[in-house]
Amino acid sequence: MDRRSFLGTSAKVGAAVVGGSMLLSACSGKKDGKQVPLRKPGEYYIPELPDKAIDGKELKVGVIGCGGRGSGAVMNLLDAAEGITVTALGDVFADRLGSLKDKLKEERNVEVPEESCFVGFDAYKKVIDSGVDMVIVATPPVFRPEHFRYATEKNVHSFLEKPIAVDAKGYRLIMATAKQAEAKGLSVVCGTQRHHQRAYVESFQKIQEGLIGEITGGNVYWNQGMLWYKDRQAGWSDMEWMIRDWVNWKWLSGDHIVEQHVHNIDVFNWMTGYKHPIKATGVGSRQRRVTGDQYDNFSIDFEYENGIHLHSFCRQIDGCSNRVAETIHGTKGYWCSEEFVIRDLEDNILWQFDKEAAEAKFEQNNPYVLEHVDWVNHIRKGEAHVEAGECGLSSLCGVMGREAAYSGQTIEWDAISAADLDYLPEKLEIGAMDMSKYTVPVPGSGK
Amino acid sequence: MKKILLVTGLVCLVLGMCIALVLGSTMSKTSSAEYCMSCHYHEQADADWKKSEHFLSKSGVVTSCTECHLPPQENGFFRYYMIKSRTGAKHMWKKITTSKDKIDWEAMRNLDHATSTVYNESCLKCHANLYPEGINDDGITAHLYYEENASKLGLNCISCHLNTGHHMPGYEHKRLEGKVMDTGGGTVYDSAAVVTAFENFMETVPGTTASISMVAVPGGEFTIGSPEGEKGRSADEGPCRKVRVSPFFMGETEVTWSQFWSFYNETMSEGRTPPEKIYANNSRPDVDAVSGPTPPFGFPDQGWGMGERPAITMTHYAAETFCQWLSLKTGRRYRLPTEAEWEYAARGGTSSPYFFEGDAKRFRNKRFGKTDTTMIARYVVYSNDSGNKTGEPYSVKANPFGLKNMLGNVMEYCSDYYAEDAYSLLSDGVLDPKGPSEGKEHVVRGGSYSDDASKVRCASRDHTRNVEWLRTDPQNPKSIWWYSDIKGIGFRVVCEVPDGLER
Repeated sequence: MDRRSFLGTSAKVGAAVVGGSMLLSACSGKKDGKQVPLRKPGEYYIPELPDKAIDGKELKVGVIGCGGRGSGAVMNLLDAAEGITVTALGDVFADRLGSLKDKLKEERNVEVPEESCFVGFDAYKKVIDSGVDMVIVATPPVFRPEHFRYATEKNVHSFLEKPIAVDAKGYRLIMATAKQAEAKGLSVVCGTQRHHQRAYVESFQKIQEGLIGEITGGNVYWNQGMLWYKDRQAGWSDMEWMIRDWVNWKWLSGDHIVEQHVHNIDVFNWMTGYKHPIKATGVGSRQRRVTGDQYDNFSIDFEYENGIHLHSFCRQIDGCSNRVAETIHGTKGYWCSEEFVIRDLEDNILWQFDKEAAEAKFEQNNPYVLEHVDWVNHIRKGEAHVEAGECGLSSLCGVMGREAAYSGQTIEWDAISAADLDYLPEKLEIGAMDMSKYTVPVPGSGK
Repeated sequence: MKKILLVTGLVCLVLGMCIALVLGSTMSKTSSAEYCMSCHYHEQADADWKKSEHFLSKSGVVTSCTECHLPPQENGFFRYYMIKSRTGAKHMWKKITTSKDKIDWEAMRNLDHATSTVYNESCLKCHANLYPEGINDDGITAHLYYEENASKLGLNCISCHLNTGHHMPGYEHKRLEGKVMDTGGGTVYDSAAVVTAFENFMETVPGTTASISMVAVPGGEFTIGSPEGEKGRSADEGPCRKVRVSPFFMGETEVTWSQFWSFYNETMSEGRTPPEKIYANNSRPDVDAVSGPTPPFGFPDQGWGMGERPAITMTHYAAETFCQWLSLKTGRRYRLPTEAEWEYAARGGTSSPYFFEGDAKRFRNKRFGKTDTTMIARYVVYSNDSGNKTGEPYSVKANPFGLKNMLGNVMEYCSDYYAEDAYSLLSDGVLDPKGPSEGKEHVVRGGSYSDDASKVRCASRDHTRNVEWLRTDPQNPKSIWWYSDIKGIGFRVVCEVPDGLER
């Protein structure tokens, strides 16, 4: 049973019932000191992470979104596998596309022909239709659902940079497309690279084996300094400025709780088997962000079934304490990602990830490369493997937290997952926009 | 000895193989659509199937009888054959004992019956992926809602896709966006009726073709509730109290589709507006344009026809908003009846279980033998004479006040909140009581076409079930205008007597 079919089954069984029986068994387990697994081996997915992808069919890859992450991802892919050719590039801006084209030539001696370089909002279609087997989709995340949908329709395998949805409508399209991709036997990997980081994968395995007991809650953080921004330059239209400065605009990035912090929220969801939260309440504000209409800090209380809480905390402000980490609490101990260590409730170390051993055993330890190894392996083995359902769920958690902070209201999962929330502008073209629509939300005001 | 054993063994083996072969071919033969039809019994079902998506699918795949009406074999071999033999035996019995023109196909189309003969697991066996390519956002929302709530709320595929296996005239599985509904045509009125005396009048709604026949109901005193010992009585119908009611006008019939669509066509709003905004607009004292219903999902008449048939499936709020619109259009004060007004009007001066002779025992559905419906069928559309759908007003006679379909046809909204002990809070002789000041659900009265005799008595009480009646609505927030899971609900209007009018 793979991870997805397990998800399906567990969703059918009432989550409350499962939780209840697990809790009971955990109690009885504690009594005689026995370790009770949260799930049986085989009921969750553990990726094989060899240094390099298996040899096999020659594959053609296209890149949609040639900025920093798209460029990084394609280099990672070329490190991960042999027999891969970059055959098409797409971006909204010619200069961004050009810099990746040059970089590929310089660093990898790869020449992408001019006629396979596409510029504009419809470049994604042209890349996908150019005869590629696989695409790296790394545009601003608001475009991800439609790009994924089109790639899947055309039977093209996708690598989807995280987050993969910034609103409710996008989330729904992701969830439906994930099912279609699975039915077609496609391989879809998402840029939540912790799933392919050896230390996380081993931690995940230990937690599933019951080392910290039943999970009772968690804390996740992405507190860092200010992120980059771009001042408007002469000659840039509203649309051009917003896209070049996209990490500062709600509609493009989903705000930093979605765009960046999704990594950490996703770790908690991964460890707990992707049961979605029931509701979220939180605060957030904009203190020192320079451009755009986003906040620069959020603190959200996510409530899951059985009274389990996840506290999520993210900040992009200079001069404050920084921390990027996840902690998971259990009935017998806790795990923290900073040292990849599990301690019991008296703080004795029960297990720790052996970094040296991993480095001795493997040459490749970069999760950004390993995720592509896993992606290519599934494609070459012809095995369906779709991570978009999980990443979609975590993306909507970010959206839910964001909406809770923006509105000042408690947001329920049932409401946000069915909400009429659609961030895509009606018309996509480089030009003037109605900028009065892009304002910083004021909690409690209805605006 | 050994030889005998060997021969016996061989014979048994051959015999066993023969039986298995015969059984196997019987099983596959008896699972074909042709076999099911060989009785010439299911003619209507067969004709409807041949007009359905399961017969005329785009892919050319024909889904036949047993694929839906039996569970999948792989979900339990033994269970499959048990159900198969039971179903077969049942049909055989029915064929022998019932003539085919006695079978009510209309009734068999309804969801409750269909749910008992269609296996959801069989739907899911073929439709393993609920998100086929090309599905739109509404479809995704609905199927995510289904997956999240199927077991919690007991949802089935056919809860929403009832016409998949057998075509149903008038059944649509889509939002009726932008649609202007048929109001039956006729003269467009340019002014409201002129009312100079307390007598019956025909209200005319300016700017529309809608007219509403209004009956002058004289004021008076009556006993609300039913005495202990009345057949079919429930505890909430007591204690009995003397109640006085001021004169009022009441719609002769339940509000019809023609009337309701006149309101809808003038007030409908495309797209979803948050309910708070609708409430805020419609509750402004100076509101000049009320916000009305959003387009319904599918035809809300259930394919029974519109026109003079009672409008159904709108929410209590939609019914109230209709009254508000009608008041604005005519300058008179229209509203829903209070529970006291409703029962007073229904009784029409009588104090018996019905406003005609008889009791629930006589009219109720008999397990054996035939129910005597001669008296009740003249006045009431209920389970024993409705054919499982609403009726048009001409099909029944009026009560002593001249009102039609007070009992049966559709349940009618009252303005009161429901409380089980509402009557115990009334003092004897109270004038125009309005029910509890707070509550969650509203009173509905009069039973419906699908109710049995005890539910269509004058004193019988019931209430809205907001959550249950919206079970399959996948939207969040759910519709404030249309119920998805109740059919027999409608309303009639009351008009207050204008000041200065001689009573």
